[in-house]
Amino acid sequence: MSAISTQGLGKRYGSKWALRDCTIEVPEGSVTALVGPNGAGKTTLLQLAVGLTRPSAGDVTVLGLSPRDPALLARVGFVGQEHPLHRGFTVAETLKLGRKLNPGWDDALAHERVQRLDLPLDRTVGRLSGGQRAQVALTVAVAKRPELLLLDEPVASLDPLARREFLNSLMEAVSETGLTVILSSHIVAELERVCDHLVILAEARAELAGPIDEIVAGHRLLTGPRTEATAVARMHDVIRERHTERQTTLLVRANGHVYDADWELHEVDLEEIVLAYLGYGASRPLAEAVAR
Amino acid sequence: MIWVGWRQQRAEAAIVAAMLAGLAVVLLPTGLNVASAFDAGHLASCTGARPSQSCQQAVDQFLVRFNGLGGLIAWLTLLPGLVGTVLAAPLLVSLEQGTQRLDWTQSITRRRWLVTKLGLAAAAAVVAAGVLVLLVTWWRMPFVRLQGRMDNSVFDSEGTVVLGYTLFALGLCTLVGVLWRRAVPALMVGFAGYFAVRILFDTVVRQHLLSPLQATWRADGPAPASAQHAWVLRQFPSDRLGHLAPFDISCAHGPAIATNCPSKPVGGYMHAVYHPASHFWPLQGIETAIFGGVGLAMLAFAAWWVHERVS
Repeated sequence: MSAISTQGLGKRYGSKWALRDCTIEVPEGSVTALVGPNGAGKTTLLQLAVGLTRPSAGDVTVLGLSPRDPALLARVGFVGQEHPLHRGFTVAETLKLGRKLNPGWDDALAHERVQRLDLPLDRTVGRLSGGQRAQVALTVAVAKRPELLLLDEPVASLDPLARREFLNSLMEAVSETGLTVILSSHIVAELERVCDHLVILAEARAELAGPIDEIVAGHRLLTGPRTEATAVARMHDVIRERHTERQTTLLVRANGHVYDADWELHEVDLEEIVLAYLGYGASRPLAEAVAR
Repeated sequence: MIWVGWRQQRAEAAIVAAMLAGLAVVLLPTGLNVASAFDAGHLASCTGARPSQSCQQAVDQFLVRFNGLGGLIAWLTLLPGLVGTVLAAPLLVSLEQGTQRLDWTQSITRRRWLVTKLGLAAAAAVVAAGVLVLLVTWWRMPFVRLQGRMDNSVFDSEGTVVLGYTLFALGLCTLVGVLWRRAVPALMVGFAGYFAVRILFDTVVRQHLLSPLQATWRADGPAPASAQHAWVLRQFPSDRLGHLAPFDISCAHGPAIATNCPSKPVGGYMHAVYHPASHFWPLQGIETAIFGGVGLAMLAFAAWWVHERVS
């Protein structure tokens, strides 16, 4: 069964579509990265999945249920952008909130995590560091014992060290509890270490979705003498092309093997693939031209 | 959820409790003072329709002495609005900071969250209004025995209307806040709106909630008993044939039937249109129902709006 399945999902604010025609499947048991630039619709997609907003078009089901189904509430955990917590609550009170509002609350797990992460129980949330706040928010979401955990930009506001610690403790939680996780990010670095699935959102649409190893295996970088990409484009999807005076570089999603003596084949890493889909790569030739 | 709801608004509850405690600190000693002056002057025997000359003097002395205090107490009519505004704050601050997303993604429904939070706020409003009414009513008892309680400045802070006002302010501030989504300006606008509606009721609406009585009596005779401690809307003298006589403006309005109008036409008649003291509870009931009903309706609409429209 899919953890999340969307069909032509869309959300409009006024006349502007924050998310449009989004059809994806996120398999249960996966750790999925939802990647895209700011404003691509990541937050909207997660808020639709967790029932905070309602779709303007299409459908979304979560663990086979509608997001607003009360039976779903206890089964889905959510850490919102900027880790919304009550700033006047102490850490202990924040855990008490979790205990009071969740029938499946695992108090032992919550306190064990707090102790391991050295979070001060009697300090108010407003006086914690950004990294500590993120850890408290994650603790509440994990101790709820959900089957599915959604995290919206959980590491965006953290420094590199706190980011690494946060992702480590997330992975520990995943390995301990077997959660399905979807986390959104506009930062690609580190995600490959944590995630096994990827959904790329750009300009309010889903551009690419699938297991990361298949995605990486399915993309190739072709280099060869300067030429047009038309011949390659007949067989494969050209995601990005770059031309210098003598050389052409193509990033393609290969449909089957690429047999072409004219091109030299290279493997590409995930970050480069993601950047190409997000369109950052396309602007590079222009930048180079300007520099010259 | 009750613990969570209480934890989220205990600061505001403490502010309201502190306001009431501060008020009690002022009202208790001065109230005891007023009561002992009332007893010392034997004013309890002066509350009839036709007080004796010595009584009149003692009453005047008493009223002059405590006039300033009584005027200050009239300002307490702003307090129900303030209490409602403060108690509306926690929900609006939560929505402004986005912390409702934490609560709503635990295992409770929005409905339960809203019912608990707004229910606690409304309960706190009821308790605060009750304490306020008890304090002020006790403090003003001697004045009410001498002057009645139909005057706006008294009517507004006794009986049940205070409860209606508090719920109205709570509902108005909550509704403005959830629609506007900016807590502080919404609370200020809500309080200003509350004040405007209150002024409208005091000056225009209240007198039409019930039809007033009309009375005519010989100008050299006593006013009818029902006019004692009445809220006089209009009063004018006429000659024997009922033609309007020239009159002093001070005889036309006022909280009580004027007994010593200089232009009282000898042999003529006095006419008055007034709400007698017996209209106190009917007027209180109607006004409480209007303010309380509208306040609760606004709370319900705000709750529906949050349930359906807020992410």
